[in-house]
Amino acid sequence: MLRFLKRLFLMLLVIWLAASLNFLLPRLTDRNPIEEVIAASMGESGGTMEGIEEIVASYEARFGLDQPLWKQYLFSLWDSLRFDLGISISFFPERVSTLVLQALPWSIALIGTATAFAFAIGTALGALTVWPGAPRFLNVVVPVIMVLAAIPFYLIGLMLIFLFASQLNWLPTGGGYAPGTIPDNSFEFLAEVFVHSILPILSILLASIGIWALSMRGMMVTVQGEDYMTFAKARGLSGWRRFWRYAVRNAITPQVTTLVLALGNIVTGAVLVERIFGYPGIGNLLFQAILVIDYYLIYGCVYVLVLTIGLSLMILDLIYPLIDPRIRAAG
Amino acid sequence: MNAPASSAGLHVADLKVEYYTDDGIVKAVDGIDFAIRPGVRMGFVGESGSGKTTTALALMGMIESPGKVTSGVARLDGLDLLSLSDAAFEQHRLATVSYIPQGAMNSLNPVARIEAQILEGFRDHGAPLARADAQRRVASLLEQVGLPPAVGRMFPHELSGGMKQRACIAIAIALRPKLLIADEPTSALDVITQRRVMETLGRVQDDIGSALILIGHDMGLMAQFVDEMVVMRDGKVVEHGDVRTIFANPSHPYTRTLIESVPSLERRSKPSRATTNGGQAATNGMPLLSFDGVSKAYGQVEALRPLSFTLAGDMPCVVAIVGQSGSGKTTLGSLVLGFETATNGRVTYSGDDVNRMGRAAVNRFRREVQAVFQDPYASYNPFYKIDHVLTVPLKNFGMASSREEALDHMIRACESVGLDPAQTIHRYAHQMSGGQRQRLMVGRAIMVKPRLLVADEPVSMVDASLRSTILGNLETMKTELGISVLYITHDLATAYEIADYILVLHKGSVVEAGVPETVIDDPQHPYTRLLVDSIPWPDPNRHWGAGGSLDEETQSVAEADVTQPLVRNEIEGFRLA
Repeated sequence: MLRFLKRLFLMLLVIWLAASLNFLLPRLTDRNPIEEVIAASMGESGGTMEGIEEIVASYEARFGLDQPLWKQYLFSLWDSLRFDLGISISFFPERVSTLVLQALPWSIALIGTATAFAFAIGTALGALTVWPGAPRFLNVVVPVIMVLAAIPFYLIGLMLIFLFASQLNWLPTGGGYAPGTIPDNSFEFLAEVFVHSILPILSILLASIGIWALSMRGMMVTVQGEDYMTFAKARGLSGWRRFWRYAVRNAITPQVTTLVLALGNIVTGAVLVERIFGYPGIGNLLFQAILVIDYYLIYGCVYVLVLTIGLSLMILDLIYPLIDPRIRAAG
Repeated sequence: MNAPASSAGLHVADLKVEYYTDDGIVKAVDGIDFAIRPGVRMGFVGESGSGKTTTALALMGMIESPGKVTSGVARLDGLDLLSLSDAAFEQHRLATVSYIPQGAMNSLNPVARIEAQILEGFRDHGAPLARADAQRRVASLLEQVGLPPAVGRMFPHELSGGMKQRACIAIAIALRPKLLIADEPTSALDVITQRRVMETLGRVQDDIGSALILIGHDMGLMAQFVDEMVVMRDGKVVEHGDVRTIFANPSHPYTRTLIESVPSLERRSKPSRATTNGGQAATNGMPLLSFDGVSKAYGQVEALRPLSFTLAGDMPCVVAIVGQSGSGKTTLGSLVLGFETATNGRVTYSGDDVNRMGRAAVNRFRREVQAVFQDPYASYNPFYKIDHVLTVPLKNFGMASSREEALDHMIRACESVGLDPAQTIHRYAHQMSGGQRQRLMVGRAIMVKPRLLVADEPVSMVDASLRSTILGNLETMKTELGISVLYITHDLATAYEIADYILVLHKGSVVEAGVPETVIDDPQHPYTRLLVDSIPWPDPNRHWGAGGSLDEETQSVAEADVTQPLVRNEIEGFRLA
């Protein structure tokens, strides 16, 4: 229990620090977001720049940007606690929390699925490549996977779009679902979502399986040199048991650390993929927010990012003793 | 000489194992014959590379590519082992031929409970146990090796080294094998734990009535434990016979060398130092090293109780600090080196507090006080060649102004410990054997001309015959170079050989001190007596437990006083206060 409270306190500390930094950093630029949004819309609608100061000032009052910095800071901390992230400047008058909560499930589903598959496949391949008596075809598959790991996933994504969407026309080029469809719970809609997610997931899979495989392979080599592997073999334990219960079980612990951290990165890890595939996730949202310096939306996205990382670190700390009994003693 | 197929026990004839390497065929085992009857303990002795472990691997069907069993027959109770397929052999390992590993420290799966590791043996050999039955079997196996049933629920890291080794024995005997192969099962354990583990192993073997092969290079252990012995060298058997006969009258010169390489009471070569009775002032001037009421506690645990001594330094001597793991001996070494800060009291070197030295004093201290550690494998940075390892101290202490001068130092360092400089300087550490590495560590220490050397178990991980070479190197340091040595060890026998003075440490306190002749020939404290009784003397007639059973002796140690050291004599140059 004490351990849990300690971790919880640490997580809150991290979140507070991140919240403070996020409050400060965007304010260090001398660009004025309200002025830019108004100037942009005036440019579009052909209005004049006269009287823009008054308009800006009134909006600043509306958003609280005319308050002293420390007040803005305290307010932002208090609001963060209530998950009231304010109103978006660029999607006015949508609330940031609404936008973020709309986008989040898309990202979690996309990146979560892709990461889980990449982890499972990559770890299994990496473990098998160095296990004597593993199937021969791995000798061909694994080098290919390793090469793919060297290519950035946005490049793989572009190639996949070119091949499957624009040349072969098998799959849609992007989006979470076809334009014009109204999201509901019907089977047709879910099927559409699935079809749209194939290419983004595939691009992440192809790019990251090799990385998981490579690190697992290294750990497996180390573990196979351990005395307990020799003793297991000398005891006539079955190959199956030695592979799973001895080698993989011991080699996988550092992989789990990386996995939890990778899941914590769901929000940022998605920016490029979501951008390329026009996916309605939080990465795309963050990208749009940064383009127009939408303070509140940027902050909202990053806040969720910090929450997920903080939360996954805490989960890691709490589950690690279950994975590795040696940590239990260290408390 | 083909053995009849029906006869009981293990019969091996003309066994050959060859390794196909880039440099040609290595005959690891070159046509050996032997037989072991059930209930008999057979010792396999030889240096690393002599083929003793390869023989064991062949008997377990575990020779792996590029190695191959090229000829021979091995029958165990009529079963032709070498003709078994891999799959069939897997079923016979543990059930028929079982193995007790060398590195018990790391031989257990760190993420599985002991009971699980016992039970998986049953499961994988077609004999899974019902839940209630399983618990009973685990408890009885653990009891057989003298461990409480609670150990079953524990993970390996929760056990001490001796307990882990006994857990390994419990795992290995679960299916009552016909042949037990124990590969240096106690090489990393102190003498008392070693004695306990070997007694356990012997009792268990008697219980199940199997034949037993003990692989090792410690002739002392062989003399204490086995009935018959095979001495191997370069893949061949050079001597084979009854252990008493071999010790009484070794016929091969190599056997004689092996026996003589074990430190022994009768062969203590050097004359002992003149002893003085009563307290004599250390020396005129500052003592080299002094402990002034030094104690060290880690939280609630008292690692070292208040200790005071002075080491004069102008009269070089070897002081052995002897004790089991957990006795505080390594803490003492760390305090001397300034790696730890004393909880109370002061450690001073030439009058300076080792934890409060100025820059210049630290530099001098680091040069004049050198250390050699236990593990020659972990003491080297694997990325650097030896010349780098040797150049760093020369540079740090400004001992060489040019490459030629540095090279000159290196050559002399190698030669001082009997290594060929041309074969050493341009190699990586992993290209050298453990013994070579450890000698080089000693050579490195000599090179910077220290005044004090802290040697923490410098020979516990090297072959017996190299042991005496390295101990000889330490001896030379004292006699020819005037270096004092703090020799930290769990091995009273080697301390007996090279020490001028011995401190016996138990639970953080010095319980007995004196010159080796007093402490070891006539131990007074029960703990010292237990240590001395547990030394595996290379003499089949001088048995372990002459002073009583292990349990009785342990009991009297528990009741003994540890607050006041028994000091019967002193030597010039070292004084316990």
